[in-house]
Amino acid sequence: MATPRDRSVGRLLTRAFGALVVLIVSCGAAETTALLMQHRVVDELSTHVQPLELTNSELRSLLADAQRGLRGYLLTGDGQLLDAYHEARSDYAVVGARLRGTASSRESGAVARQLARADAWWALAEEQRLAAPRSETAVGYVAQGKPLFQDFTAENRALDAELAARAVDLQKRSSRLSTVTTAVVIVLTLLAAVTAILAAVVSTRRITGPLDRVVAIIGRRRSGELDIRADATDGPTEIRAVAQAVNEMAEEGDRIRGGEKRDAARRAEVRELGYRIRAHLKVEEAIQEAVSGLATIIGADHVLVRMAPGQTEVPALASLRDEHVGGVLKELADCDVSWLRSGGVWASGEDAPDDRAAPPEAELLACAAAGAGPALTVAVSGGDECLGALTLIRDTGPAWTSVEMRLAESVAADLGRGVHHARLFEREQHLVARLQELDTAKTDFMSTVSHELRTPLTSIAGYVELLLDGEAGELGPQQRRMLEVIGRNSRRLRELIEDMLILSKIESGAFHPSRRPVDLVVLAEQAVAAIAPAAAKGRVVVRTEVERPLLLDADPDQLDRVLMNLLSNAVKFTPADGAVTLAAHRDGDEVRLSVADTGMGIPPAEQQSLFARFFRATNAIHRAIPGTGLGLAIVRTIVDNHGGRIAVDSTEGAGTTVTVRLPLR
Amino acid sequence: MTVVLVADDDADIRDLVAFKLEQAGLEVVAVEDGQAAVEQARTRRPALAVLDVSMPGLSGIDVCRMLRADPATAGMLIIMLTARVQEQDVEGGFSAGADDYVTKPFSPRELVTRIQALLSRARA
Repeated sequence: MATPRDRSVGRLLTRAFGALVVLIVSCGAAETTALLMQHRVVDELSTHVQPLELTNSELRSLLADAQRGLRGYLLTGDGQLLDAYHEARSDYAVVGARLRGTASSRESGAVARQLARADAWWALAEEQRLAAPRSETAVGYVAQGKPLFQDFTAENRALDAELAARAVDLQKRSSRLSTVTTAVVIVLTLLAAVTAILAAVVSTRRITGPLDRVVAIIGRRRSGELDIRADATDGPTEIRAVAQAVNEMAEEGDRIRGGEKRDAARRAEVRELGYRIRAHLKVEEAIQEAVSGLATIIGADHVLVRMAPGQTEVPALASLRDEHVGGVLKELADCDVSWLRSGGVWASGEDAPDDRAAPPEAELLACAAAGAGPALTVAVSGGDECLGALTLIRDTGPAWTSVEMRLAESVAADLGRGVHHARLFEREQHLVARLQELDTAKTDFMSTVSHELRTPLTSIAGYVELLLDGEAGELGPQQRRMLEVIGRNSRRLRELIEDMLILSKIESGAFHPSRRPVDLVVLAEQAVAAIAPAAAKGRVVVRTEVERPLLLDADPDQLDRVLMNLLSNAVKFTPADGAVTLAAHRDGDEVRLSVADTGMGIPPAEQQSLFARFFRATNAIHRAIPGTGLGLAIVRTIVDNHGGRIAVDSTEGAGTTVTVRLPLR
Repeated sequence: MTVVLVADDDADIRDLVAFKLEQAGLEVVAVEDGQAAVEQARTRRPALAVLDVSMPGLSGIDVCRMLRADPATAGMLIIMLTARVQEQDVEGGFSAGADDYVTKPFSPRELVTRIQALLSRARA
């Protein structure tokens, strides 16, 4: 039976079967022994005791025949009877010898004694035979021989009795042996049966319980309890080995799952890196982000980016710690990447590189020079174009796994997009800078032109003034009228120049917004105050209807320009005794500003063109009302710059209302 | 007689201003560049200088700065003539030490009025 130290089912079964074999062999041995013993008993009985008995009785009858023959002869003298005697006498020699030969040491005493008695009788009988039959002597001999013969008979019977007793004894022994053997065999058989049953029960119990528990653990693991482990200290060795194997499989599973989780985490990090790379608007920064990110996430000791030649706005090389400048990556940095095509990937030690990436000998040598570890080169692609190469090198360690290769490809793709975007952005920036330069040049030009125009205008206007003031002598009425025309037109020219300068400045203001919170009401009141003299001169009443305060994000100078232009237009086009109304209200998240007049109005067909540069309404021209045709264009541009809208509502002869809507912020 | 220095590279404007000032009873010293303006200011010691801002060589602002830096001419009244209306130009003129400025195109009548106003204020 198994001890607690050794709880193996195999050992248990071995021992149980061992015991069974011993019991069965014992059974057989017992049977064989019994059989052998019985055989010996029977053998002794049949080959020794019974022949001895037979010979003994034969001897007795022989002697009886001899005595009877002799006695009959002596009494009758019949020779025939003497012949019987002689016959018995000769047979005696044979039978006596056989009896002596058959007897074992055990009977030899009795046999010798009997034969001695027989010989004693035979000696006397020989003497009697010589006596004359029917004589006194003969009769006396008969009487004399009788006791001798009786002695012989007694010996003979004693031997016979002893032999009979021995035969009975042997038979008894045989029967006892068979009983004992049967008993022993029954006991041994029962013992074997009990042992077998016990072994079966114990081993079943030992196996099923722990096995069921292991099976239950496997079931629970399958249903998601991944932390659970089988008890490898429970049950017999074999079950413990099974539990151990189950646990090892669980560990392996956990390891695989852990690896998958790690890969998933790395994929997420690479995705994040991709976002960061693409978020950079400068190519250098995008490349640097990719280089440092790859080193951390994928675990590379050296990262090198080589850009294909012929790309402006892109640095030709970048590496993690600038190893390409005189460091280990110097030789690799000198290799051009024209062998790599869009989408190509090459890993060192790869027997069959894909047809988009078969590196030349120089590249392989440079890789080897950079370090003994594995190298991975991935194309940085922008569309179908290979923009450059991304190379990762490990000083030592395992070859690049397919997962790492895919991650590197993903980063390279993001880098390609990032570089592409950043290049586009940088081009756009250049374009914007160029446009700004152009705009500045235009403003400078306008400024210079206006300066150059003002100088001659100063002379014209100044001398006309001198002449009109009579500083050069008295003027005739016609001369005066003509000089007034010159003066008016020089004023108009001056206004044109100023409006053009303003328009140019406002348009460039689209690039330089200088907004701050301003109160429209304050500006409106200042504008109304500024227009008051002109209004008074034309006998026009200016009213204001405002809701205060009206704070909005705007450029105050430009807003002032809007107010002044609208008010001066309104006053200019309103005949004497008319009225101009400035209204400003908040409307949702907008401010509604309107300037209404009771002036001449604008012909409907011309209302659309009102905001075009240098456009002047026909009725204004007909009535020779001065103007540059730029005032409303300026207003429109300012309103547009502030994200607002402008609308005109006019009825010819009744008046005009200009409405401006500006967002609060 | 009050002496007024007029500096402008444009002869027509120079003559216009000189004529108008002489008509107003002032003695005019007219020069055509900044260097001459500085020299005349030092030798003739005018009560007031009318300086055009944009002149070849020394600009009106440079001349103004030099005159203010020299103790001999530091107290001189200065009016700048400018063709530019941008605020920074006006500020530049004032930070250099100008007493007033007039933008081109200007009315000669207005210029004389301003000069007389400055002179009378200085005398008071």
